[in-house]
Amino acid sequence: MGEEVKKSRPAPDPNSAKFKLGQIAAKAYSDAMEAKARGEMVGWCASNFPVEIPETLGLYVCYPENQAAGIAARGGGERMCNISEGEGYSNDICAYARISLAYMKAKEAPEQNMPLPDFVLCCNNICNCMIKWYENIAKELDIPMIMIDIPFNPDYEVSDAEVEYIKAQFWDAIHQLEEYTGKKWSDERFKEVMEISGRSSRAWIEAASQAKYVPSPFNGFDLLNHMAVMVTARGKAEAAEAMETLLKEYKENHEKGVSTFRAEEKYRIMFEGIACWPWLRVTSTGLKSRGINMVTTIYADAFGYIYEDFDGMCRAYANVPNAMNLEHARDKRIKLCRDNSVEGVLVHTNRSCKLWSGFMPEMSRQIGEACGIPVASFDGDQADPRNFSEAQYDTRVQGLMEIMEANKGGN
Amino acid sequence: MAVNELLAQLHEVAASPKKQLDKYLKEGKKVVAVTPVYTPQEIIHSMGLVPMGVWGADMEINEAKKYYPAFICSIMQTVLELGIKGEYEGVSAIVIPSLCDSLKTLGQNWKYAVKDIPFIPMTYPQNRKPAYGIKFTKAGYERVIRDLEVATGAHFSEFALAESNKIYNEHNAVMREFAEIAAEAEITAVQRSDVFKSAWFMLPEEHTAIVRKLNEELKNGPKAEGKLKVLVTGILADSPNLLKTFDENGIKIVADDVAHESRQYRTDVPDMENPVDALAQKFADMDNCTLLYDRDKKRVDYIIEQAKKHDAKGVIVLMTKFCDPEEFDYVPIKRACDAAGLMHLNIEVDRQMVNYEQAHTMIQAFKEMF
Ligand code: SF4
Ligand code: SF4
Repeated sequence: MGEEVKKSRPAPDPNSAKFKLGQIAAKAYSDAMEAKARGEMVGWCASNFPVEIPETLGLYVCYPENQAAGIAARGGGERMCNISEGEGYSNDICAYARISLAYMKAKEAPEQNMPLPDFVLCCNNICNCMIKWYENIAKELDIPMIMIDIPFNPDYEVSDAEVEYIKAQFWDAIHQLEEYTGKKWSDERFKEVMEISGRSSRAWIEAASQAKYVPSPFNGFDLLNHMAVMVTARGKAEAAEAMETLLKEYKENHEKGVSTFRAEEKYRIMFEGIACWPWLRVTSTGLKSRGINMVTTIYADAFGYIYEDFDGMCRAYANVPNAMNLEHARDKRIKLCRDNSVEGVLVHTNRSCKLWSGFMPEMSRQIGEACGIPVASFDGDQADPRNFSEAQYDTRVQGLMEIMEANKGGN
Repeated sequence: MAVNELLAQLHEVAASPKKQLDKYLKEGKKVVAVTPVYTPQEIIHSMGLVPMGVWGADMEINEAKKYYPAFICSIMQTVLELGIKGEYEGVSAIVIPSLCDSLKTLGQNWKYAVKDIPFIPMTYPQNRKPAYGIKFTKAGYERVIRDLEVATGAHFSEFALAESNKIYNEHNAVMREFAEIAAEAEITAVQRSDVFKSAWFMLPEEHTAIVRKLNEELKNGPKAEGKLKVLVTGILADSPNLLKTFDENGIKIVADDVAHESRQYRTDVPDMENPVDALAQKFADMDNCTLLYDRDKKRVDYIIEQAKKHDAKGVIVLMTKFCDPEEFDYVPIKRACDAAGLMHLNIEVDRQMVNYEQAHTMIQAFKEMF
């Protein structure tokens, strides 16, 4: 299919953002492995847990969602899902959880290993599924579970009562971790981490916003890959530096009129949902072969952990995409569509993610109406390859393209 | 009144919530819908409003498909379906907690799908036991009170809440007593379910009065003999078609851990000076439920403990299809049953089930294992 012809590739430039970001992601795993080997404690951490906490305390953590995505992208999703289903877990459960629970049992996966945890750090600002998943791990491995509850916010703004509740839990979590691991909280170190996390976030958001140029200086699938670093390492100086390099490259791309989208950009869409990791190539090629660039996703706006103080941090973690009400989530996306001259929306109806998919039909209708652009959806799953049909994907993307084409004619 | 008459009365209510709704509306009362799994019904009641449970219905889904993908549980799907179809017409507001991911999405869809019935969110904390959690529960209640005042024009008073807390505690006690009596008495699974189900469609004081009489009659009536005793767990166990199979196979429910049934009645509002504080404390005291953070999986131990206490020989899990919280708990439940020497059976249930053949065969086979 419309893959670019593979020329003999030059060795990766160690100064490139892509290389740096790849290194950081890999290093997060190797650091944790080494720490575990040295006898240090290692935790498993939910993707939107306030990483400032383990980072400030100097704790090593791994990210099961990131691991599951890696395993799924490298073809191990079905094998791992089968293991947990064999244990009695329903295949209706989020595939990240199924892969992670399988890993706890199998203790290895050639696609992406990581050390087993001595504690788990759970935060349900992305979903309550997370709570059940981590409960099962904590109970089975008999390890502490630190639970930070950031409820789904039915209102547009985060209330003071909620900030107060979150803040109390942050301190509770810190104290529990200090006690269990023997590490000490330092306000000074926190300030540093906060600044670095802010630097990473600002660079990330600005890099993603370079899609405002037509054509976009990058292929939006880059964001799905680079996001891993924002998840796992946003509080580390290397991450901030790599994100700044990414931003610089995108700016240069624009100036030079080049892009990491290696096809003529005929249409620009927003991709809604988590990537379909087992079918990444297929989903990306299906777009590229038609000249469709996915220029933005809500991830471009997520990880905006820019705040001034501890309270600000509490508020920021309550404002992550899956914790927002429909109106707030919708308006963020409408802004992304407008800022990036988006001509259509492609929605991944992700069987794994009830929260994300549960009000997506209504929300995407509203986005389509507000922006006057077509919306198409396809069925898939972010990690279980069995829930995706290539033929359906192709038909839906083709349909979306045809409407976008017709809309161009009308202008 | 004889047992059968009392049961018939409750069956009538359980089978026709719409009639109850119309009855209350005709009496000039305002009705507030409450969805699974927990809501501050005491508050609603104290404001002179009638809380009525909405747990969906066994029906086909059409309209809700515009909002929900197929992999959301059928309770959420059919609550929305009924809302869109106007079945709740006359209801003044709906209170929806965000205790699971699907419940979070129900409120969001509701705002657009059923515009004439205002959505009132109840946000409970998962870290519900520490003081800061209790404070947050209280903030959630205060918000519900404000929204109810706007939606219904009713007023809140602490004095009335203190009364309602008492009424709910009495109802809890009567329902707990019923569950124990029903474990011994000659009463079918369908009848047992009617008693629990009707509670959702009646004012608690009215329900208490009937169940109290029923308890008296049952206590003095014949005992069930020679049945296979089981504990049933799950979100919902109200399908008459399924429950009939229990009866046909001589299976007797001696205890339940069903969200729609006994989980509602385990915890009382404690006696405290301020009734809102007391109600927040009640939520903090609640345990043994899939939807309440439970690092130690106390729920699993509780199921085994209750099964043993009631001399159950097996545990039947009625798994609501697409209910991910319960699906996570299934594995530890299964393991704990194995360890305790309890037989177990997992039956997937769904509100669109038309064919019960498979479930019937499973239940028969389960029975034959003893
Ligand atoms: S995919 Fe959805 S359900 Fe699964 S962990 Fe992520 S947010 Fe939670
Ligand atoms: S059945 Fe399960 S998934 Fe559905 S609303 Fe109840 S708890 Fe949530």
